[in-house]
Amino acid sequence: MNTVVAQLQRQFQDYLVSLYQQGFLDNQFTELRKLQDEGTPDFVAEVVSLFFDDCSKLINSMSRSLERPENVDFKQVDSGVHQLKGSSSSVGARRVKNVCISFKECCDVQNREGCLRCLQQVDYEYKMLKTKLQDLFNLEQQIVQAGGAIPQVNIN
Amino acid sequence: MTVEQDCVALDQFPVGMRVLAVDDDQTCLRILESLLHRCQYHVTTTNQAQKALELLRENKNKFDLVISDVDMPDMDGFKLLELVGLEMDLPVIMLSAHSDPKYVMKGVTHGACDYLLKPVRIEELKNIWQHVVRSRFDKNRGSNNGDKKDGSGNNEGVANSDPNNGRANRKRKDQYNEDEDEERDDNDDPSSQKKPRVVWTVELHKKFVAAVNQLGFEKAMPKKILDLMNVEKLTRENVASHLQKFRLYLKRISGNQQAIMANSDLHFLQMSNGLDGFHHRPIPVGSGQFHGGAAAAGMRPFSPNGILGRLNTPSGIGGVRNNLSSPSSGMFLQNPTDLGKFHHVSSLPLNHIDGGNILQGLPMPLEFDQLQTNNNKSIIAGNSMAFPSFPTQQSSLPNNNNHLVLEGHPQASPSAFPGHQINKRLEHWSNAVSSSSSTLPPAQNSNSIIIGHQFDVSPLPHSKPDSLEWNTQNASSSYSIPFFYYDSSQMRQSGNYGPTTDAMLSSNPKEGFIVGQQKLQSGFMGAEAGSLDDIVNSTMKQEQSQGDLSEGDLGYGGFSSLRTCL
Repeated sequence: MNTVVAQLQRQFQDYLVSLYQQGFLDNQFTELRKLQDEGTPDFVAEVVSLFFDDCSKLINSMSRSLERPENVDFKQVDSGVHQLKGSSSSVGARRVKNVCISFKECCDVQNREGCLRCLQQVDYEYKMLKTKLQDLFNLEQQIVQAGGAIPQVNIN
Repeated sequence: MTVEQDCVALDQFPVGMRVLAVDDDQTCLRILESLLHRCQYHVTTTNQAQKALELLRENKNKFDLVISDVDMPDMDGFKLLELVGLEMDLPVIMLSAHSDPKYVMKGVTHGACDYLLKPVRIEELKNIWQHVVRSRFDKNRGSNNGDKKDGSGNNEGVANSDPNNGRANRKRKDQYNEDEDEERDDNDDPSSQKKPRVVWTVELHKKFVAAVNQLGFEKAMPKKILDLMNVEKLTRENVASHLQKFRLYLKRISGNQQAIMANSDLHFLQMSNGLDGFHHRPIPVGSGQFHGGAAAAGMRPFSPNGILGRLNTPSGIGGVRNNLSSPSSGMFLQNPTDLGKFHHVSSLPLNHIDGGNILQGLPMPLEFDQLQTNNNKSIIAGNSMAFPSFPTQQSSLPNNNNHLVLEGHPQASPSAFPGHQINKRLEHWSNAVSSSSSTLPPAQNSNSIIIGHQFDVSPLPHSKPDSLEWNTQNASSSYSIPFFYYDSSQMRQSGNYGPTTDAMLSSNPKEGFIVGQQKLQSGFMGAEAGSLDDIVNSTMKQEQSQGDLSEGDLGYGGFSSLRTCL
């Protein structure tokens, strides 16, 4: 039992660290994890789930704005990017945030093509992160079910 | 929470501080909520600005602080900020992913008490309660006028600086002279303020003056000054009251040379800081904190020995560096003969010489004796540094002429100068001083005595610039006369008045500051002692109430003819 837990914990730890190393997550995510405690055991899961919802909504609306080449509402796109940037930085979704930075630049110069590319990339990144975090939460759950505690992982 | 609770029950506060968090981004809002909970605040969230306003309007006392995002679809965050400030007077913190300074500026100008960047960190949130406390203090400060707000009467918006009618402040701001409003508030409650007192150090005052100068004296408004100064924890109210004092000071000093006075930091500081540092110690003629360092910010209370008066302000002497240097030296040292009176000065409490910090290595006190015996007319003030003290010392000198003959340079025709030795000493002193301070201009023309390049003799506790407090013994606080003269000469000579002595010094290092010597525009100096006497006497009288002017009285007579020694 202990070894199972230990193993799971080890797995969890390694996985989490790899996410940081691959740039999916940054320090802000660590902060989020710190906010989670016994009183709020699902805090992180809750927050990231909200985030992914936001991503989905924003991407949809931006996509609509960028749809017709002759009539692009860059203002709206800019606003969407801004928001996405804010929330991604708040949860520690590093890659998503980085795409937003490029995205904003395309928006500033009203480069529709560039915007579309960025949009695609944002979409890809958030979905990828979603998958990864899902795996992480699954591991967490397994640890808890095995009676273990979720390790606090120190990054760097 | 009541105001009292907030202010007094610090053991509880900031725990339980009631925060309203507004952000249309649900992710951020959720995180913010959690962070605020972690800080042990009581949190209410909403993702709509409109809803937030409703909540606030419903019960003004329900919240202590509002945190709001800037970009919201239903209402611009700045607009919300303004409304909250106007209607509710609560402190509002802006939150944004925009790090662009212009947004931050916009936040500030709309009255935000802070601007945080996303992602928000918990460390930042841990301290936001300070804004609540601060605004309450500010409010209390002004609310003695009766306008105390209950409960969450937080002064918002307008940089937490308008205690009364906080919400009306913005409007008032537009309508009246900000200064007046705030000063009134400030002045109305001199003693019942709970506010944490801002100490206007020389450094701070310099910034203030720089800001004022930058804006243009006539146009300087507290808010703008505050922005330019960019000093944390300084409120507009602080600036406003300081500005008022500053203006009054200028008026007092020069009547119409306000611009010039703008530089006389130290002097002003001394005055405005009250006579805190005034140790009523005799100021040695020419001694004082010569060391240029003193002039700089932060001179310790300097107690110049002997004659001249008391320069004691913590802010040090350095502050007010007058531009003695620039004016033509001729102005000052014109009547060597008058120096004879000097020995009156010498009769002044030489014994009081506070050797300590003043004459650091300067043999002034000794010289002084010699001066006395020699019937010196000159008070050797050495160049620069010493000067600040000098003027102050002057004040203590009853001599109306206040001819501080500060001979900076031995070159002054010694023959003319009875205090031959003094010259030498001065030289010595100047050298010493010079070496110690880069601000000291080399004493080049012997004739000019530079009185207090550093006007910073901050210890001048003047309440009136012209009170001659020649009282070496105690108290009197005004060094005004020396300063005064200084001023006038400054005024005459150069536009700058004040701390920028270096430049001035270099241009004319020997500014002899002859107290009372030249035609002081302000009339203080007058061409002759006479006018000085009048001034001195009048100021003396004013100071009488403070006690001990006896010495000063004595002294004054003696100095009537102090003139340039060279």
